[in-house]
Amino acid sequence: MSAATTPVLELRDVSKSFGPVVALRSGSLAVGAGSIHALVGENGAGKSTLVKVVAGVYRRDGGEFRLGGQPVDFASTAESKDAGVAVIYQEPTLFPDLSVTENIFMGRMPLGSGRLSGRRIDKGAMHAEATALFQRLGVHIDPRRPALGLSIADQQIIEIAKAISLDARLLIMDEPTAALSGNEVARLFAVARSLRDEGRALVFISHRFDEVFELCDTVTVMRDGSYISTDRVAETTESQIVAKMVGREVGDLFPKTVAEIGEVVLDVQNLETAGEFHGVSFQVRAGEIVGLAGLVGAGRSEIARAVFGVDAYDAGTVTLAGKPVPAHDPRGAIRAGMAFVPEDRRQQGLVIQGSVGKNIASVIRSRISKSGLITAGSEYAAARPWADRLEVKTNALDMKAATMSGGNQQKVVIAKWLATNPKLLIIDEPTRGIDVGTKAEVHRLLSELAGQGLAILMISSELPEVLGMADRVLVVREGQITADIARDDATPENVMAAATRSSEKAS
Amino acid sequence: MSTDLLVEPSRQSAGQRALTTFLRSRELSIAIVLVLIVIAATLKRHTFVFSHDGWRDTLLTPSILLLLAVGQMVVIVTRNVDLSVGSVLGITAYATGKIFIANPDTPVVLVFAAGLLIGAVLGAMNGFLVAFFRVPALVVTLGTMYAFRGYLTHQAGSKRIVAGDIPANFEKLGTQQLLTVPVLTLIGLAVLAVVGYYLHTARGGRELYAIGSDPDAAHLYGLNVGRRVFGAFVLSGALAGLAGVFSVARYATAFAGTGRDLELQAVAAVVIGGVAIFGGSGTVWGAAIGAFLLVTINRALPILGISDFWQGAVVGGLIIGAIVLDRVLSLRRAHQLIEARDVTEEEG
Amino acid sequence: MKIRSKRYAAGAVLALVASLGLAGCGSDDSSTAGDSGGGGGGGDATTVTFLPKALGNPYFDTSDAGGKKAVDEFGGTYAEVGPDTIGPDTQVSFIDTAAQQGVNALVVSGNDPQALCDSLNAARDAGTKVVTFDSDVDPTCRDLFINQATAEGIAKVEVDMIAEQIGDSGEVAILSAAANATNQNAWIKIMEQELADNHPDIKLVDTVYGDDDDQTSFDKTAALLSDHPNLKGIISPTTVGIAAAARYLSTSDAKGKVALTGLGTPNQMRDYVEDGTVTEFALWNPGDLGYLAAYAAKALVDGDITGAEGDKFTAGELGDFEVGADATVLLGEPYRFNKDNIADFDF
Ligand SMILES: Nc1ncnc2c1ncn2[C@@H]1O[C@H](COP(=O)(O)OP(=O)(O)OP(=O)(O)O)[C@@H](O)[C@H]1O
Ligand SMILES: [Mg+2]
Repeated sequence: MSAATTPVLELRDVSKSFGPVVALRSGSLAVGAGSIHALVGENGAGKSTLVKVVAGVYRRDGGEFRLGGQPVDFASTAESKDAGVAVIYQEPTLFPDLSVTENIFMGRMPLGSGRLSGRRIDKGAMHAEATALFQRLGVHIDPRRPALGLSIADQQIIEIAKAISLDARLLIMDEPTAALSGNEVARLFAVARSLRDEGRALVFISHRFDEVFELCDTVTVMRDGSYISTDRVAETTESQIVAKMVGREVGDLFPKTVAEIGEVVLDVQNLETAGEFHGVSFQVRAGEIVGLAGLVGAGRSEIARAVFGVDAYDAGTVTLAGKPVPAHDPRGAIRAGMAFVPEDRRQQGLVIQGSVGKNIASVIRSRISKSGLITAGSEYAAARPWADRLEVKTNALDMKAATMSGGNQQKVVIAKWLATNPKLLIIDEPTRGIDVGTKAEVHRLLSELAGQGLAILMISSELPEVLGMADRVLVVREGQITADIARDDATPENVMAAATRSSEKAS
Repeated sequence: MSTDLLVEPSRQSAGQRALTTFLRSRELSIAIVLVLIVIAATLKRHTFVFSHDGWRDTLLTPSILLLLAVGQMVVIVTRNVDLSVGSVLGITAYATGKIFIANPDTPVVLVFAAGLLIGAVLGAMNGFLVAFFRVPALVVTLGTMYAFRGYLTHQAGSKRIVAGDIPANFEKLGTQQLLTVPVLTLIGLAVLAVVGYYLHTARGGRELYAIGSDPDAAHLYGLNVGRRVFGAFVLSGALAGLAGVFSVARYATAFAGTGRDLELQAVAAVVIGGVAIFGGSGTVWGAAIGAFLLVTINRALPILGISDFWQGAVVGGLIIGAIVLDRVLSLRRAHQLIEARDVTEEEG
Repeated sequence: MKIRSKRYAAGAVLALVASLGLAGCGSDDSSTAGDSGGGGGGGDATTVTFLPKALGNPYFDTSDAGGKKAVDEFGGTYAEVGPDTIGPDTQVSFIDTAAQQGVNALVVSGNDPQALCDSLNAARDAGTKVVTFDSDVDPTCRDLFINQATAEGIAKVEVDMIAEQIGDSGEVAILSAAANATNQNAWIKIMEQELADNHPDIKLVDTVYGDDDDQTSFDKTAALLSDHPNLKGIISPTTVGIAAAARYLSTSDAKGKVALTGLGTPNQMRDYVEDGTVTEFALWNPGDLGYLAAYAAKALVDGDITGAEGDKFTAGELGDFEVGADATVLLGEPYRFNKDNIADFDF
């Protein structure tokens, strides 16, 4: 077989523009069979665009595109599927009304055999296969339930199951781990390795370098829509990759400055929602960054949502700067001085069809309105400094949020809330899907805001982030706060221990 | 969180599951409303159901709207709408009369085929514009609603197809009964069964739901969105054509205004039947019960002593009520689904 | 196609045809110009040109045939011209042409009460007599209007028919057009009065509205029957309503038990009269209307009448007529159609 020498996927100088926006200038990538190939680059570097060209979502403007040595040109995703390409897109694309199983097999549902049932979908076989897929991934999702209401982690797992079940020769995963917990990531990696060992080609996109180094054998770096370099992972280092990605030196990833801790800003007492969390009491002071650590699903996001009033709670009180905050009333919370950057930004934080400027200015509309009128000018004037500050990579503020890269969309959401000048900022997974350069910038920003007296409640699944940024770490396990550890005492070991203690097993 | 537990097989048997789904279904709730209305009207006047005419009309009158609602449901489930069905019905009804005038001996089967065909061709025009030119269905079918009606008005002018133009055997079909069930209703129910079966068990059917659930995702999945949407419009047109033939069999007349406003009734029936107006969810059974409910309410209200002038308001209230109910139910369901997911996670 | 009818002060002139939805727009492909020219002006023969709202309409085919019969009787020259479609000014060019040709009389069913006035007056100035029938134009721009029926006449014949058919006692109901239809509402008022005054044993139990829509009228008929188990008769003063009601009755248990009458056209009602669902219904006879219009035109041309109130003339087999107020001649009582005569009509 000459496949050993012919790469499964080969792109050379592929370009793609959207009107005046050049998303991909000259993308090149060669992935061989039996290899897991990392594709890295800053937010907006063109990674997802490149993936979509391969998938047939976009048609390239120029360049060469070969699959198994044959030049190809996909006009639709159906064609790429037929050619053996499976793609996990950055944003889950599921049908909320259909069952999980149907989502996995849509477009290629197994048909029954026999004369009568020959045109009927074989639901039994389909559910069985879905169940088997979930077993392989080690997750518990009822294959018959609708996709509606699934967490992003579950949605991402369904995307993975979908792609795996395609039995493709080329599997592309665009930030599949962004929403996953440690266990799920481990499972995914095990599956990826077994696919590699079967001789398939895999492309893996991530902003987490530890994952790249753990899983991949080769890494290609992109910057500003162009190919920069390809190296064997074993022969390169993280700092070399980072330097190529950003084209400059990145400073300290956790630029924590010590701020003066002031009055209590947020006081939560005995908060309880049946079935989710109970007896939750804690305080956040001015200038303090409190990290909320714990396993995915421990109840951290639920607590944050209840505090902000997105969800109702059964018992307890929330006080902000001495005044009670009304329950289940996010507007009241905003008025009281809270800001909340949710976990699922695409669904909860962003008006996806709105412009970047509108999105950033959306929560401060009453403040910037002149006698009730809001002009695009005033909106953009208010939005501009924040967009610049977070390096939102967008040509113009009137660009639609939907067309921005995944990471840039997240920056827009953060910018939007910072524009409200809050007393308390609740931020759920602040740097998920954000590239290293901006990650450092977000951290610097948080640190600086704390220095100006802002109280920050930060939820993060990245332990280094919690340890690097928080003045105090609260550990949540099974809906309860099980530990309150000061910055100086916090270590990866004691935080993980508090997060998993008395569970059947530690991960 | 354990990692090695298998996905738990559902503890319910397939039969149990089907039963719970049925009992919780939106369809059941409007079916109950329908039954209650029939009971109330029958208590007030027993001939509402217990007389030859009453029994026949209860089953027969909704048969035309039933066909339109089934076609409309298939279009709406793809996040489109077909407002031209009333005009299509008018055209085929008039054409049916013309066929009989030209040749009174035309076999009935041929007339049905002609109705289906004319409707399908008109539906294909809608489908072509919506699916391949990406013009919003609301705009396209609003346009064709007027265009088709204009064509019919031009053709028919003030002329009417009258009972004398329709051969007796075809006219008889309008009220013919098989084991007391009107033949037209039987045909309508057969169409309903076939479409329902297709939507729930065929790939194409599930793809229609997927397209309505999230059109962008459908493109990413590589579904042939254009072809499916086109097909939905052809079906809707064909069923409207069939309904036109029904209309002549039932009313023995057709003129330039035949079928006017029926498109809105069809949409109303579908919405009342629990089909999401933005596509992706609902069943054709619900749409069918919605059609029966809408027609039956109009027949029952006068008996229940509600004057003509209030009937429109009652129907309007019903539509709004159905939409509010759907909204509440879907919020509750979304909540339950989120919880269901947490439960499985904790169990694991 | 609804043309708003206008009611002129005196004479209760009603544009009945429009309100009943009888007259219509054009047919398929009837030629635009008159088949035969207007006929020469001079000579002894009186030239009469009929100008209906549109050609190819069975109602006007019948009325114009009546006109031709009259013209042939008195030895004149008959012509028929008209547009394909109904529109406010589609008739203007035909009027102008007729005036140029110097026809003696023009018999018009006006598409619009005002739009034709200039042309009609120009024709009159050129010496052409203008008679309107079926739908009048403004009284200042014609010489005579032939009125097919009065509101009183219509209401009375309907009450008379139902009284005869149900033995002058029992419950009856009315199936009308739209709830706000001016003509029908006026007739219903008179009918109620007539019932109260002269038929004490007949009880009007319900009035429902079918909106001049087949299906609605059909369904309302069903509702009437189930709402009123003792109903003995239905009056439907609208051609759409009566046909739909007949259709429902013909396949219902109530066939033969509940009488149905009202205003209808022979073509729509033929089957139901023949199968016994309907005994008798009424409308005027359009043939007579055209016949009378032609004789009236002749009388004007000959100078026998001028259009002044009290003028008298004879219209062939229809007998003597007198001009009423506003230069209007009334055709007479509405015409009753039944098993015996329905085969003679085709409109
Ligand atoms: N449909 C589109 N229309 C206009 N611009 C687009 C569109 N899609 C992508 N872009 C632009 O192209 C550039 C590259 O986007 P892309 O999504 O490929 O980045 P990425 O490398 O995947 O970033 P991230 O790591 O944040 O996901 C961005 O500047 C983005 O705004
Ligand atoms: Mg991306």
